[in-house]
Amino acid sequence: MSELAVAGAAANTAAQSPLSLGVHNHIKKTPRGKIKTAAKSKSNTVIQITVLVLLGLTVYGFLTFDYKNIDLATALASTLDNASTMFLQPRLSYNSFSGAMFALLITFSLGALATIFGAIIAFFGALLCAKNIANPLVATVVRSFVAFIRAVPTILWVLILTIAAGLGSVAAVAGLTFHSAGYLVKAYSESIEEVDNGVIEALKASGASYWQIVFQAILPASLSFMTAWTFLRFEINFSTAIAMGAAAGAGGIGFDLFMAGSFYFDLHELGFITYIVVIAVIVLEMFATKIKAKVR
Amino acid sequence: MPILEFQDVSKVYDKTTKALTDVSFSVDEGEFVSIIGPSGSGKSTILRCINKLVDATQGSIFFDGHNITTADKKEIRKVRKKTGMIFQHYNLVDRLSVIENVLHGRLGHKATITGAAGIYSEQEKENAFAILDKLGLADQAYKRCDELSGGQKQRVGIARSIMQEPRLILCDEPIASLDPSSSKVIMDHLSDINQSMKITCILNLHQVDVALKYSKRIIGITSGQIVYDGPPETLSKSKIHEIYQSSEGELITDVE
Repeated sequence: MSELAVAGAAANTAAQSPLSLGVHNHIKKTPRGKIKTAAKSKSNTVIQITVLVLLGLTVYGFLTFDYKNIDLATALASTLDNASTMFLQPRLSYNSFSGAMFALLITFSLGALATIFGAIIAFFGALLCAKNIANPLVATVVRSFVAFIRAVPTILWVLILTIAAGLGSVAAVAGLTFHSAGYLVKAYSESIEEVDNGVIEALKASGASYWQIVFQAILPASLSFMTAWTFLRFEINFSTAIAMGAAAGAGGIGFDLFMAGSFYFDLHELGFITYIVVIAVIVLEMFATKIKAKVR
Repeated sequence: MPILEFQDVSKVYDKTTKALTDVSFSVDEGEFVSIIGPSGSGKSTILRCINKLVDATQGSIFFDGHNITTADKKEIRKVRKKTGMIFQHYNLVDRLSVIENVLHGRLGHKATITGAAGIYSEQEKENAFAILDKLGLADQAYKRCDELSGGQKQRVGIARSIMQEPRLILCDEPIASLDPSSSKVIMDHLSDINQSMKITCILNLHQVDVALKYSKRIIGITSGQIVYDGPPETLSKSKIHEIYQSSEGELITDVE
C-alpha cells in the first residue's frame, strides 16, 4: 500500500520533469498557477461580472423594499388561511364539472391553434435565418425582425390585435401566434444550424435542389429538436391562453378563474379550477414526453 | 476526348490562403486516378472544384467538353447530376433508412416537389435494391443509418453515388475512417465499379500503398502544385518523399 503510494509520488515527480522547454512556452496558467484547459477566459470573466452585478441588485432590492408596515406574522397567518380554504376545500358552485371541462377544452384549443399556426410560419422563417443555409443578408433582416416580435410580450400583442379583431378568441389566437412564431423561428433555426454540414454537402453534390435538401436532409435531421421545441412552446401557449381568457376575454378556463377570483370572490371554486389546470398540465406533459420518445 | 480537364486552375481562400496554383491535368473516361499529398495540400479543393462545391479563382475546368467555371445554377446541377461523391465521414442522414439514403442519389434527376416529398418510382426503388444487393447490404435496407458500422455506411455512400448513374465518382478520403478489412471491401467495390460500369473514379487518398495497388495513375500534389503525374510503377521512393516533403525514414511507408 505505502510502496504503491511512494511509487505513485515518484511517478508524479518523474512526469513533471521531462517536459522540455519548448512545451512550457505553450502552456498557459491561471492566476492561481494551475494549467489552463479552457480555450479562452474572456467569457468566464463576463459571466463572473454578470453574476456579481445581479447579486448586488438583489441585495439592493430587498434593502429598499416598501413593506407598508405590514405585520409579517398576521400576513403569513391569513395567507395560510386563504391557501387552506383554496386547496383543502375545493368545490364548484358557479360552474358545473362538465362546464369546467368544456372551458378547459376551449383553452386547450386556443393554445393548440396558436402553436400550429406559429410552427408552420416559424418553419419557413427558420429556413430564412439558419446560418448554414440562408443568405447572410436575409438572415440578419429576418433575425432582427423576429427579435423585435419576441421583445414585445405576448399579452401586448394580444391587446394590440384586439384593436383590429375586438376582445375575444380571435385576437388571443392571433397574438399568441405572433409570439409563438417569433420564439419558434429562433428555436428551429438553431436546430437547423445543428444539422451536420456534411449531409447538406452530400445532397448538394448529387445535384439536389434547395427544397429537396430541406425536406430530405434538414427536416429529418432536426425533427426531434423541432418537436421538443414545439411541445415546450405548446405548454407556454396553454398557460398563456389561461391568462388570455381573463385578460382578453378569450373565454375558457381562464375566464372562469377570473370570474371566481375577482367577481364572485369564491376561494373554493378558485382552488378547484387550479387543481383542474394543474392536472391538465401534468397530463399534457406526460403526453408530450411519450411523443418525444417516439420521435427520436 | 477527356471527360475532365483542368487548365491552369488556381484557388485562393479568403484572398490570402493559396490552395491551388496553376493546376493542369486531364482525365480520360474510365480512368482510376488517385491523388496523394499531405493534409492541406489542396486535394479536397481539387475534388470540390470539379462539382462546383468550391469555385476556382482562376483558370478553366472542362467537364465533358463544357467549361464549367462559368456555369450558372442550372448547369451546375447538370454537372453534379453526372458526378457522384463519396466522403470520409459518409455524410448520410442518420435518421433516415439505408434505402432512403440510397434514393437520395436520384434527387438531382427529379422534380423539386417529388424529390422533396421523397416520392420515388418503383423502378428507382428496385434499382436501389439491386445496387444495395450488389454491395451486400440488401438485408440492411430498412435499418436506420446510425445503426450501421463505418464500412457499411461507406457502402451506402457508394450506393447513393451509383444511384445517380454518374459519369464520374469523386472520393474524398473514402477509407480514412475505416479499418483495414473494411477498407479493402470499399476499394474493391470502387475498382469493380470502375471496371464493370466504366465510371471514371478520382480518389483522394492518404494511404500511399493503397493508391499504388489500386490505381493506374497517380497524381502527387504538394502545397497546391502537381509534382507527379504518372503510373504507379514510375513513382519512386524519393518522389514520394518529395510529395510529402519529408526525408528518408519519416514516412509510415518507410517502416518495414
